[in-house]
Amino acid sequence: MTELVLELRPPESQHYGSWKERLETVARYNDPDEVHALCEKAYSLGARAVLAVFDDTIREALAAFQRWRDMEVWAVLPNMFAFIRDLTDLGLVGAARARFLRLTPTQMARTAFRAMLDLGSIRRRDLAVGTMLVSEMELAALRGLRVTRLFLHPQVTEVALAGGAVAVFTALAAASERLGIDSGLVTHNPLRAATVLGPELRRFAAIIAPCNPKGYKMFPNREACERLFRSDPARFIAAEVTAGGTLDQEAGLAHTRTLGLAGAILDRRMVEIAFRIGTSTWAGRAVRGPGERPIFQGA
Amino acid sequence: MTENRPLKAAVVGAGRMGMVHGHLLSTYPATEVVGFVDTNTGLRDHLASQGLTAPIYPSVNALFGATAPDAVFICTPTHTHLPVVRECLAHRVHLFVEKPLATTRADAEAILRLATEAQVVHAAGYVYAHLPIVQAAHDLLQQGVLGEVLRFTAHAYVSEVFGPKRGWFFQREQAGGGVVANMASHLLFILGWFFGPIRKVVATTRSHATTVDDSAQALLTFASGVTGLLDTSWSMPGTQMLDYGLTIDGRRGTLVLCRDRIMLHLLAPAAGHDAGWSQIHASDLPADTAFDISPHIGGEAFYRQLHTFVEACRTGTLPFCSLEEACNTQRMIDAIYTSAAAGAPVDIQ
Repeated sequence: MTELVLELRPPESQHYGSWKERLETVARYNDPDEVHALCEKAYSLGARAVLAVFDDTIREALAAFQRWRDMEVWAVLPNMFAFIRDLTDLGLVGAARARFLRLTPTQMARTAFRAMLDLGSIRRRDLAVGTMLVSEMELAALRGLRVTRLFLHPQVTEVALAGGAVAVFTALAAASERLGIDSGLVTHNPLRAATVLGPELRRFAAIIAPCNPKGYKMFPNREACERLFRSDPARFIAAEVTAGGTLDQEAGLAHTRTLGLAGAILDRRMVEIAFRIGTSTWAGRAVRGPGERPIFQGA
Repeated sequence: MTENRPLKAAVVGAGRMGMVHGHLLSTYPATEVVGFVDTNTGLRDHLASQGLTAPIYPSVNALFGATAPDAVFICTPTHTHLPVVRECLAHRVHLFVEKPLATTRADAEAILRLATEAQVVHAAGYVYAHLPIVQAAHDLLQQGVLGEVLRFTAHAYVSEVFGPKRGWFFQREQAGGGVVANMASHLLFILGWFFGPIRKVVATTRSHATTVDDSAQALLTFASGVTGLLDTSWSMPGTQMLDYGLTIDGRRGTLVLCRDRIMLHLLAPAAGHDAGWSQIHASDLPADTAFDISPHIGGEAFYRQLHTFVEACRTGTLPFCSLEEACNTQRMIDAIYTSAAAGAPVDIQ
């Protein structure tokens, strides 16, 4: 059975077809109720997990949604756009301090203790230690959410992959194991990930990478990526299945199924389109409402 | 550099862009990073933790004392570009200079003059011009699909500044300006590449949060006769990444360039495109990219930019993104600031 995963990112951090579309979408999805409704629609389409980069709106919406539905949250940490913004405004210490101050006193004590243990690495601005410290602070601030998988933000992932900085990934895997949850990767460079991580790749339960019949965003090329996917399909989840909205979503999802991948990412547009075509038919089945898993039934 | 030997490159400035270029040079098959230069050599461990293990030197002289790069990537704060270029060119080395080229038109032209006299290959880091969709728009214009180009409107917005800011990036003397020099310059470069040398500018700028320009409007006239309006602000809510767009009107149609697609409206069929509306999406174009260093910002453009530069070094030819083109951009930046300050049009020779 292919798994459907709704992707949520702050709407300000996405690309749009026009300025008008941007403003309308950003304004709409700054309302937690709208995010909640999107989750409900995705749930009714069969999604049982949300891959999320967090802002306050998304955190609030998911906290409410998880009280209502059995939906896993896969956290993508840290929110690099927010962190870079804080770096510019506050400097490295200020950016870390801002995250520290969001924690409860107990979490503060725990974080401070861990930071003391890594003080040398922090002073040296070690990428793995710094990334995990910020990520764990952001994770701690997600109290009330049931997070079942941890991912690093792609802006960190791709840099670490470029440098072959395996320590960044083993730190993520170790932190996840400590918490008793899975870890995963979101990347545009799955082949590089396989090369850099070698057998360590198996420590990551899910690798989310572009996969579509046009080869869009599949680097270095579609053939090489698909060869990798076929070697261990249960580990890969397809992103960009509609190739930037140029393919019919059913065709994109069918391609994912053909490759036997573990799942596919539904983005906001896909969910909205599915509902615009009228909760009528999608993937050849009626979408009747919450509780059904119509899209990949029989996949 | 020969056909078979990798291009040995050094990165001057180990800040954010320096690290991006360091990583790209590490992953690109035909390049090798031989060193970093930064006055803060304490960054060694930070770089090493990212897998950037090339030695770090405290100065350009120290770099050249220890190794002999074929090319240098200059990623220091903008106000240092000219002295760094001067130091580097004492060793006759190919130059890649991050945008904007300089803080003033005079410095930019001095950099170009030095590079030209040294007879080295040179390029500037206006990365968005390397996106396949932007190159496709350029090709359509070159093919004359729109006929005579008449006018354009363009925007470049980002959510960056909503209050006082610190750091060199927001100091005019060090950064060369605000949103025009540092954000809109990406679009100005593309406009110059599309329409040619700039001839006249009428502009207004405003500083409402920082001491540099936070927003600007400019009416640009190119030597080709094309005129158009640029609106830019880094205080627009809703876009954490640069949002830009360009609409170009010609006698035979209109081209709308968005981030991932071109919408084309033609009055009659041209160059294989039907009359009426059609669309070219980035997914229809070859990416020619082996590694995506920054999926959300720039994407494959970074890899393609490096490829363009490496090929130029290999063949000894200037790329389209040469410092000459970057000087045209700098003339636009300079004229926008001059016009805004004077409240009058500026003619550019």
